[in-house]
Amino acid sequence: MKAAELFHKYPLTDNTWDEMYNEESVRLHYQNVYETLSNIPADELIKKEELAKSLFMSQGITFTVYSSGEGIEKIFPFDIIPRIITGSEWSFIEKGIKQRLLALNLFLKDVYHQQFILKDGIVPVDLIYSCPHYLREMQGVNVPHDIYIHIAGIDLIRDNDGTFYVLEDNLRTPSGVSYMIENREITKRIFPDLLPQNHVRPVTQYPNILYKNLMALSHRQVSSPNVVMLTPGIFNSAYFEHTTLARLMGIELVEGRDLVVENQKVYMKTTAGLQQVDVIYRRVDDEFLDPLVFNPDSVLGVSGVLSAYRKGNVAIVNAVGNGVADDKAIYVYVPEMIRYYLNEEPILKNVPTYQLGKADERDHVLKNISKMVVKKTNGSGGYGMLMGHAATDQEINDYKQEILKDPRQFIAQPVISLSNAPCYVNGKVQPRRIDLRPFALYGPDGIEIVPGGLTRVALKEGSLVVNSSQGGGSKDTWVLAE
Amino acid sequence: MERTDSILRILKINYASSQDSPDDFSWRPVLQVFGNLDDDAISNVGENSRAVLLYMVLDKDNSNSIFNMATQARENARGVQDNITVEMWKCLNGFYHVVRDDRLIYALQHGDPITVLDSLIKECMLYFGITDITMFRGEGLCFMNVGKYIERAIQSAEILDIKLNSLSYDLDKPTDTAYWKYLLMSISGYSLYLKKYQSGFEARNIIDQVLFDVNFPRSVLYSLHHLDLYFERLRDDKNAEGFSKVHFSIGKLKSKVQYSNVQSVSNVGLHDYLTEITTEIDEIGSTLNQYYFAYS
Repeated sequence: MKAAELFHKYPLTDNTWDEMYNEESVRLHYQNVYETLSNIPADELIKKEELAKSLFMSQGITFTVYSSGEGIEKIFPFDIIPRIITGSEWSFIEKGIKQRLLALNLFLKDVYHQQFILKDGIVPVDLIYSCPHYLREMQGVNVPHDIYIHIAGIDLIRDNDGTFYVLEDNLRTPSGVSYMIENREITKRIFPDLLPQNHVRPVTQYPNILYKNLMALSHRQVSSPNVVMLTPGIFNSAYFEHTTLARLMGIELVEGRDLVVENQKVYMKTTAGLQQVDVIYRRVDDEFLDPLVFNPDSVLGVSGVLSAYRKGNVAIVNAVGNGVADDKAIYVYVPEMIRYYLNEEPILKNVPTYQLGKADERDHVLKNISKMVVKKTNGSGGYGMLMGHAATDQEINDYKQEILKDPRQFIAQPVISLSNAPCYVNGKVQPRRIDLRPFALYGPDGIEIVPGGLTRVALKEGSLVVNSSQGGGSKDTWVLAE
Repeated sequence: MERTDSILRILKINYASSQDSPDDFSWRPVLQVFGNLDDDAISNVGENSRAVLLYMVLDKDNSNSIFNMATQARENARGVQDNITVEMWKCLNGFYHVVRDDRLIYALQHGDPITVLDSLIKECMLYFGITDITMFRGEGLCFMNVGKYIERAIQSAEILDIKLNSLSYDLDKPTDTAYWKYLLMSISGYSLYLKKYQSGFEARNIIDQVLFDVNFPRSVLYSLHHLDLYFERLRDDKNAEGFSKVHFSIGKLKSKVQYSNVQSVSNVGLHDYLTEITTEIDEIGSTLNQYYFAYS
């Protein structure tokens, strides 16, 4: 049996954008991949999927689940059919993200300095001060080159007419970039020659750009600044990503206990004594960064690192306190920010969002809760959210109680049907929902976005949640040369 | 075997890069160093990765094809079975049968080339490991290592020369980072480079690492040090004349490389310098042959 038959049974979902098909035929940019896949015998596809799995295993691209006492190695599910973005779609996304990032970065600088945007009443003051990620410790702190968001992973989704929407801005420590790089390596292996045939733009330059940006942040006038990567340690689920990036950039991977602060300077403990650290690329959240300032019970961070940061003796990437800009309640105001700071119309649209802190919007949401997705403003990873259309009455009632305790902590959005892409699941080609997280790097030379990103897939049939912690997987993401 | 390993790695990395950025990629340099095709033939197969791989791995007319080298290595081993361990013989014999397997042709034509190259590289690593762990530390091993480091020094110098040639030896010519990255990856020197030089990719640093870094196992200087080391152990009164001749030329070349640096080399002219090195290593090889193996 040729795989062509698998595609014949591919069901299109009503009212949903499909990346591969328009109403009657395969979209032009998928044509080549479609033909290649159709000519492969069906059992060959199974072999390719197995090859992909064994490659992830043998390269150690795994995360460990510690639920049953001893660790179980798992792989982040990978779908073998690539997701393809055309050159023109990409240049639109690129422009949109650059604009958004520029505005968000200006917003952070403003909020932590003169606060013009609050004084002009564009963003309500109480929203800022009630945000748990707004850090007073950062008020008046100057960061190198005024860059707060060095690395952003803005999540995009597509509505039923193919329009791109921003789902959320991840401006703290966005993860997943190692999968962008590794997925591409896997595609090279399972579909030899398919990449050059389709003129897919490469993604391997990401670590080099990031490294160049990190070096540029050093405050000392030395020829080789000391850049380190701070990881929470081997038990972190993204530890694989930390080691990969550190290796690809040739920088030291350190844990909190490897660093020490003296005289408001950060030093790394080495076999040859202490060595001053200039730039820290941290994958530790704000609240664990410095036990003297934030969570005193945590040993993941470094005591005194924030004082060194405030003094300007060390650069921290991403900047501390960015959470105030990707708070889901602040998200509503991003289009206004773009108009306010840049005097431009937003290129990428926001998903319509109701703030439950506002009485009239709350009433509307509670009445129509079955058509809504309700989320916590500071949540992430798909935890603690309510999908109105799929929840039971009991779940809805419980959730309502939660909301009424502290409405500020919640927002609601109408259910947006994410776009579909063909996935190879259980020996069949089936549509599954996807999103897109491109990775943008903001350095002193401007914003660069590597052509590609992480496409996350909701592998459960009909599911709209793509987070890896909720059974999501990923795809290789191709951006075609124009 | 040293050459086999080196070629396989180069093929693997070049293939990977051909998948990455097809527009500014060419197989030409690889074919020029290792193949015996003329210019027209290179243009014919040059753009087709699969054809290049078939030529480099399996072509019987290419004296540097993996097929021919594995066969040669096995033949040599057969001739000296009394001097090598049985594990080593089995390993080389096994490798020979792997490259003769028809499935290899099919896999190279239709399957994933990297899987094929990886499996061949594994055979080479097996060989190095088995040699290290089973061979008696005597004359036999010393001769093997002398040969190995002669080969390695030549390889590194030639690869560098080819890369620089396409820049017309202009060290300030701006290059794509991928250009140097793939060179370093094919000699397993990428991570070391990133750690050692923190200023991005620069031709001068690459030359420094590939020629002069004493701790980089594929640098020319490292190879010469080890060549000297293993040859020293062959010192024997019975062949005093041969020993002193070869020892002299190794020592001379080693000091020449040891007391050069990127600056002085560029003053002489990089191409001339690299050619001098390879010629001198070649000469060491033939003197060695003359005094130790010719019996005339």
